[in-house]
Amino acid sequence: MKKRDDKNILRKIMAIRGMGQVITVAFGLVVLCIVFGILNPVFFSNRNIANLLRQIAPILIIGIGQSYVLITGNIDLSIGSVVGMSCMVSATMMTKGVNPWVAVLITYICCLAIGIINGQLVANCKLPPFIATLGTMTIARGIAQIVNNNYNTDSIGAAAKGFRDFFYYGKNFGVFNTIWIAAVLWIIFNFILNKTRTGRYIYAIGSNIEAARLSGVNIAHITTTAYVVSSFCSCTVGLITCAISGMGTMDAGNGYEMYAVAASVIGGVSTLGGQGILLGTVIGASIWGVLQNGLQFAGAPVAIRNIAIGVIVVVSVLLDVIIRKGRPIRKKKNITTVNKAEIKA
Amino acid sequence: MLRKLIVGLLCMIMVASLLTGCGGNQPAQQQETTPQQETSQGAESEKYKIYLITMDQMDQHWVNVDLGCKKAVDELGNIDYHWLAPDVKDDAKQIECINNAVAAGADAILLAANGPDAVTSALEEAKAAGVTIVYVDSPAAFPAVQTIATDNVAAGQKAGEELIGALKANGITEGKIGIVNVNAATASTVAREEGFRKAFANTNFEILETQYSDGDAARSKDIAANYITQGCVGIFGANEGCTVGTGNAIKESGGKVIGVGFDKSDAILNLIKEGYLYATMAQNPDIMGYEGIKTAVKALKGEDTGPDYIDTGVSVLKKEDV
Repeated sequence: MKKRDDKNILRKIMAIRGMGQVITVAFGLVVLCIVFGILNPVFFSNRNIANLLRQIAPILIIGIGQSYVLITGNIDLSIGSVVGMSCMVSATMMTKGVNPWVAVLITYICCLAIGIINGQLVANCKLPPFIATLGTMTIARGIAQIVNNNYNTDSIGAAAKGFRDFFYYGKNFGVFNTIWIAAVLWIIFNFILNKTRTGRYIYAIGSNIEAARLSGVNIAHITTTAYVVSSFCSCTVGLITCAISGMGTMDAGNGYEMYAVAASVIGGVSTLGGQGILLGTVIGASIWGVLQNGLQFAGAPVAIRNIAIGVIVVVSVLLDVIIRKGRPIRKKKNITTVNKAEIKA
Repeated sequence: MLRKLIVGLLCMIMVASLLTGCGGNQPAQQQETTPQQETSQGAESEKYKIYLITMDQMDQHWVNVDLGCKKAVDELGNIDYHWLAPDVKDDAKQIECINNAVAAGADAILLAANGPDAVTSALEEAKAAGVTIVYVDSPAAFPAVQTIATDNVAAGQKAGEELIGALKANGITEGKIGIVNVNAATASTVAREEGFRKAFANTNFEILETQYSDGDAARSKDIAANYITQGCVGIFGANEGCTVGTGNAIKESGGKVIGVGFDKSDAILNLIKEGYLYATMAQNPDIMGYEGIKTAVKALKGEDTGPDYIDTGVSVLKKEDV
């Protein structure tokens, strides 16, 4: 009796769309960890695990944002620049003596505006997402540069200690706050994506935008929501970056949009939309972080690391493509009926 | 309607930002109308037109070179001075700037070359047009009147010697050393690393594989934290971002590891003051600009300009200096 229950649970888990690749990649992650642990035992020390989790957290947060946008079938290239903008806007205000929490609030408002603009440009103005977010990418970077007159800011000072502890240096229940922030955001956004109508619509748009439109989904509204989630996540990472360094750097977040794509894609989120789960993004971000950290411990040159990451991105997606092609047609039909059922719901 | 307006506005912003890619620096142009010019207008020598061309306009370093130039311009008078720079570091854009300066009738150009080779043909044309060339900060592989720069190898070596000295003072004569650098393509920081490694040549310290952070302070902190976990006794940051990241990682770990870095910024000076960074190598960009203008004017007047290369050196800043 009990055995059957176990089997049912297993079957239930396996029935979740996208779980196949997540399990494959999770297996890869375990192998990576073991290899790095053998190469250098320090890898599994408590201190390194705490550090490692803290290094993964920002990648996971922007990965969540990018996953939302990718699942709607779009892309957000402005992530890295919004990180930089958030870092510079908040740091500049704090150096000018604004209360850190007021600065945080204003920073969120500024960054969410970028998300709204992205969503409106893509959904209402019908700009290709690549172009629209390329535009906001340079605009946000420009704002990051102009906000303190083309200077990196001075130190944000002792008044911001609470801010720095909240976003990075502090601990709760023995775990660093950055990790808590990532975990809480993941739980919230995973709930929205899986258990709410908005989440279902996000998948619907990505699977078949015309079908979604005909079923009465407000495409513009949902697309904008996804972009706002993305800029919210980027803004949070910008604040973490600011807390880490205690100053604003104009180059903060350079290239992060691609890290976010990598984390999502390794974890099984499809760039074509409608596919992927946030659990995959956790694994994707972890692989990214483990590689960065582990290869440094193994003493590998950075060039090797870049090659390794590139290979892993390509191979993990390639595996998924091969697996999906190998599936019998009957299953494919099942997937489409599931989609339809979800759209109706 | 509103949508169209937003799209139109964004397009305009983008076009405008493209057009200003190689724009002159507005404040620089306004400041040149100093009182001396009016009084010396009728003097025997004509007004020299001198352009400063840097890698970009963003870095505080270049702003300080510009300030040094302005100081010399104020002292010498009779100079029509402009600062040109691309919006981002880009060879093609820097070549455009050189061509623009030549077209505008420059008598002399102070150039901080992006790389040794990319701009040489543009400089050949400039020389053919009779423009005097002086290098500030970083030279190109083309003969010029003088190069006024930090000797980065020597400066890096100095940083290494400071670190060895501090470690020895703590009774440490062996162990692992980490290097946080910007990337493998920036000549100045690569030269600093070369000098730093040179200083460690005959010691028992083991220098680990260099890690690159693109100068991002947050990523530098991650790298430095990893070095500390690996058991490094000393860490070197090759520029401002790398140094701030190193300092923050050391601060968090309790401050037993010794960090030395490069550049002078408020955040770095604070970390030194708190005792988490041992020393930083501060360059003297203002001297580069100041001496650059002086050399250019001397060369234009046909006077002796002295040696081919002037090392503006670095100042070592420690806790007692800040």
